[in-house]
Amino acid sequence: MSERSSEHNPQRAHSQQQNNQRKKFESPKREAILDLAKYKDTKVRVKLMGGRLVVGVIKGYDQLMNLVLDEAIEHLKNANDEISKDKTRELGFTVIRGTILVSISPVEGSEVIYVQTSE
Amino acid sequence: MAEILPLEVIDKTINQPVWIILQSEREFTGTLVGFDDFVNVIIQDATEWTTSQTTGISEKVMEHHGRLLLSGNNINMLVPGGRRSGN
Repeated sequence: MSERSSEHNPQRAHSQQQNNQRKKFESPKREAILDLAKYKDTKVRVKLMGGRLVVGVIKGYDQLMNLVLDEAIEHLKNANDEISKDKTRELGFTVIRGTILVSISPVEGSEVIYVQTSE
Repeated sequence: MAEILPLEVIDKTINQPVWIILQSEREFTGTLVGFDDFVNVIIQDATEWTTSQTTGISEKVMEHHGRLLLSGNNINMLVPGGRRSGN
């Protein structure tokens, strides 16, 4: 019965095979993909799911990429739903959830090469 | 310097005012009672706000008396100490 169903469901048979392979290659300890230690105490720009942009100094982080930012500032949006450069609000000392993090990059060492203007 | 862990920061905020910002324009302030690994949160005497993402102006939506369970699913940010003055 089960043999038959996997015969008729090649996708399932394939995923089972993949599972076995994953088991074989899995190492006991997983390292974080990005070592945020380098960015500690540096100013970073963090984009979140939902379109928020927060700039702040990294004070802490964990394996799940939850962040602790100090002097955090959120950039508000302009009328066209684009992120504004100068309209901000102050958050201060903030915890950001790693589950909704989209991107993170240092403020120093990056520059704007193109700004979309609505006019 | 000792590492600052995010969940430790949240843990230290228990019994203190907290400001929770969701993915939408909704925000909650109140006293943090507790949280779990998913950062589902319980807040005491919460105030619910909508904050325009263009103007940053907050409007009070309602006040919740007693405890309120807030799903961690939609939480973007937690600010210990509550809402910054001027916000």
